[in-house]
Amino acid sequence: MAVIETVNLTKVYGHAETAVTALDHVNMVMQAGEFVAVMGPSGCGKSTLLHLIGGLDRPTEGCVRLEGRDTSRLSDTQLTELRRRKLGFVFQFFNLMPVLSALDNAALPLLLDGARPEHARAKAAEWLHRMGLGARLSHRPRELSGGQQQRVALARALVAEPLVILADEPTGNLDTRASDEVVGLLRQIADEAGRSVLMVTHDPRLAAYADRIAFLKDGRIVDETRLSGDRDAEAQVTREKVAAL
Amino acid sequence: MNTLFFQYALAVRYLLGRKLRTGLTTLAIVFGVTVFFGLGMLTPAMSEAFRQNLIMSAGEVDLTVTHVTGGSFGAAALDVVRRTDGVAHATGMLRRNILLPAGLGRASGTKQEVTAVGVVGLDPATARTVRSLSLTTGRFLSDDDTSTMVIPVGLASKLALGVGDTFALPSSSGTAAFKVVGILSARPAAGVEEVCVPLSSAQALINQPGQINVVEALLAPGARRDSVAAAVQARLGDGFRLGGLEAGGEVQAAIKFGQTFYGLFGLMALLTGAFIIHNTFRSVVVERRHDLGMLRAVGASRRTVLGLTLAEALTQGVAGTALGLAAGYVLAALIMAAVTPLARDYLRVDIGRPLVPTVPNVVASVVLGVGIPVAGALLPAFSAARVSPLEALRPAADSSATRAAGRRALAGVALIVVAALTLVSGQFALSSLGTALFLVGLILIAPAAVRPIASTFGRLLGLLLAQEGQIAQGNLAREPGRAAITASTMMVGLAIAIALLGTLSSVLGGYRGYLDRSLGAHFLVMPSSLVLSGGNVGAGPDLAQRLRETPGVGALTTLRLASSEAQGIQLQLIGIDPGSYPLVSGLTFSQGDPAQAYAAIGRERAIILNGILATQLRAKVGDVLTLRTPEGDLPYQVVGVGLDYLNSKLTTGYISQAYLANDFHETSDVLLMVNAAPGANVAAVGGALERVVRDYPAFSLLDSESFRASQAEMLANFQRASYALLLAIAIPGLVAMVNTLAINVVERTREIGTLRAVGTTRRQVQRMILGESVLLAATGTAFGILAGLWLSYVFVAGMRATGFILAYDFPWAGVLACVAVGLLIGVLAAMLPARQAAQLPIVAALRYE
Repeated sequence: MAVIETVNLTKVYGHAETAVTALDHVNMVMQAGEFVAVMGPSGCGKSTLLHLIGGLDRPTEGCVRLEGRDTSRLSDTQLTELRRRKLGFVFQFFNLMPVLSALDNAALPLLLDGARPEHARAKAAEWLHRMGLGARLSHRPRELSGGQQQRVALARALVAEPLVILADEPTGNLDTRASDEVVGLLRQIADEAGRSVLMVTHDPRLAAYADRIAFLKDGRIVDETRLSGDRDAEAQVTREKVAAL
Repeated sequence: MNTLFFQYALAVRYLLGRKLRTGLTTLAIVFGVTVFFGLGMLTPAMSEAFRQNLIMSAGEVDLTVTHVTGGSFGAAALDVVRRTDGVAHATGMLRRNILLPAGLGRASGTKQEVTAVGVVGLDPATARTVRSLSLTTGRFLSDDDTSTMVIPVGLASKLALGVGDTFALPSSSGTAAFKVVGILSARPAAGVEEVCVPLSSAQALINQPGQINVVEALLAPGARRDSVAAAVQARLGDGFRLGGLEAGGEVQAAIKFGQTFYGLFGLMALLTGAFIIHNTFRSVVVERRHDLGMLRAVGASRRTVLGLTLAEALTQGVAGTALGLAAGYVLAALIMAAVTPLARDYLRVDIGRPLVPTVPNVVASVVLGVGIPVAGALLPAFSAARVSPLEALRPAADSSATRAAGRRALAGVALIVVAALTLVSGQFALSSLGTALFLVGLILIAPAAVRPIASTFGRLLGLLLAQEGQIAQGNLAREPGRAAITASTMMVGLAIAIALLGTLSSVLGGYRGYLDRSLGAHFLVMPSSLVLSGGNVGAGPDLAQRLRETPGVGALTTLRLASSEAQGIQLQLIGIDPGSYPLVSGLTFSQGDPAQAYAAIGRERAIILNGILATQLRAKVGDVLTLRTPEGDLPYQVVGVGLDYLNSKLTTGYISQAYLANDFHETSDVLLMVNAAPGANVAAVGGALERVVRDYPAFSLLDSESFRASQAEMLANFQRASYALLLAIAIPGLVAMVNTLAINVVERTREIGTLRAVGTTRRQVQRMILGESVLLAATGTAFGILAGLWLSYVFVAGMRATGFILAYDFPWAGVLACVAVGLLIGVLAAMLPARQAAQLPIVAALRYE
């Protein structure tokens, strides 16, 4: 069964003359352990797609199914629980809590879920170690580099062992090396932990880490490419496709 | 449970992350609880001290009969008790607490001072049939004794007195010396120590010949107390009370009034704290929009976010309350230490008692100290819970703000109109409600008013800071909601300052007026205590006579004193001579014609009420009051409402001395006021009067100018103390203003980066922020002054409604000071954020999210 399925997913902002269609009847399916990159020019609806799948926003029309369950009909409380248990988010600007240590930031979804603090912290520490941040557990976000902050955010996204990781331009604020590290980790998560990853990016080189790339234009999926594994070649092809959009 | 713990832990982290802000907002709570708890603890302690000083112990006898007014009565009542079935023995006594002037109450060479004693005039023949009085040495009083005394062992050792020594008491004719003939063994007593003298001596001492004020009885074996008491009560009527003798109800009422007043002050401080916390949290929610959105995105429920914000307020409330309780105790102890010597010198009351917090006071302080901040944070907490998870991802501003501001402004205008109507209604309760509506109205209008006010002041600012001023004005008008938060914080701080300044200057103006009018004589012959009913020994007619005969003396008038009760309210009655009183002194009238009122009380049973009494009795000119007197219930017609300086805070009625003597058997003068004759040498007259007064140690001669100067100094001290309290209320408000302004700058970091990137100099950025801050401060000040004037007007109207006669004194100085302080704060508040903003590296500012 598909982990995520969008059916005629549509989002319109504003009313009447000012209405803007950000997403227009998008149909998309993601399987368990699949890594999908979403690309397209600015304003094509990439982030809106991510927000709708993540339950951060509600569709104007159509629906999102998570493991076959229609999330657009859930109440705010149910959606909140869903985000906490089934979804993990990674944002462009890391969005860590400045007052919490790396360990507590990573443990946040479990703490919010009412887990025992020692259990939540043990799990968070485990993920932070895997992210190479074993020596930075007690550091506050401002004491970490951009790449390190994003790895903490990644640990936070994974700590509750969600089905899907949603990453919105996760490398937008990172240098090339840190970007490679972060996307490499996402790849690893999909391969080793069997999590599905949906990543929005502008960078064809990073999109080449995915299993599949969906190209969006004017709120519609206009092309989909399954990748072979030769990253350099795929990046070149993708670059051309993006330029043609 | 774990989520709860997490919420709390995160709240504490946030609070610790902003230590200065947390500290300063908590300060408001600390201050409120300090005042509320400290004064709440102090007033019962003082009240208890007064009560114990004034109450005379009931003694360990079967039956005690007193008059409900606390006054004295003739021997007929004693006969009634004696003749009642079941009474074996009865005795009549005259008991009175007497203040000992400095000098009489201290043994030479010792530091210990006795400020008051209870004098008990006993009938030597019958007293010991009712009371058991055991002696350690000497003998008891005998029938043919005149100036003898038996004293308790404790007093004997304090004053180093033994059998055969002489102890002088102040008396109506100067001093009376008593020879100690016996020492009583210790007897536990709650109040002052009691000395026993023959009844006739006591009657002479306080100028009440033939009078007693207590009947004590012993029941026959087998008689039931209940039925005997009922029989006595039935025969004597309800003018008499069975039980102990209580006095000083009007002083208790005054203390209670003080407690209420300061309690309100503490409450106001707490409410200011709540508003500051409310505004701080409003800004905090704006500041943490991203954090909250992120929390929601990773799965925090609305309830978790709500709980997080409330947990912060709760933490501040608990910490502030704990500190406030400790500080309140210290405050009470400090005030007690400062007031104890004053009370001993001026009121002859020893109030140095240990302070014990009462359970209701602690509970009320905790409930208010914790509850008010949480209530203040409630609305911001709900708005925090409404933050959408998408806020974590977008920097966009709220577009519906302008429309909402318009709707709120309309509601605000409506509230202000309603408030204005309540003010013209003349009803105090209504106009108090109107005040709350007015403040809420102003807060609602604030966002919409920011733009026009900013543009008005902006023109002025433009003259100083041409280009930056314009940008500042634009910034302010662009985010009217946020500007309004800051401005309304300042508004409340300044409004309270102006309101208190206005009220204070009106009240003190009023007091100075009463002082000049009622104590305007050249000379005052003052008793030991300024509270006239507080145990002073009055003088017989000879003192007034001797003063009158002193060469160079012109008009002279005296005040006499009794206590009574009307409609269940205890009051003191001041006996005045309607002929001479207006010549030397005078009441400040709020109802009735002074000349007619004085004429009426001289002619018939008529009474002038002071404001507090009139308010408590809901009485007006023309009403007839039934006063309890030793002669039974008697009707007195109200002919005026007015007050004098010394009695303005006590429930007081003024009647003529003739009726006071007739109905209350009081003929002693407790205060005498003397004018020098026209053309006489005032200093020489003073010297001559001094020689007369020297024979009356219970009195001291003051030239009224220096007395008024000392009272004016006391009022000025009170004013200064109030200013200090005011500052303490205002400071947290101002800190909140700095706080919100700083958040304003932080929020616009990226914009400032952009300005710097396109070539704005650091100096220009600083000026821009300075301009914005000054504009905000000006807006807040304008609103604050408006609200403050309104509040002070309503407060003064409220004081008038409770019987004080006051003119509204427009606080010009306060308004000017507020304008200066407001603008200064605008500049100060901008300094730190402006510096920070200007020093931001451009790239970091541009990347700031």
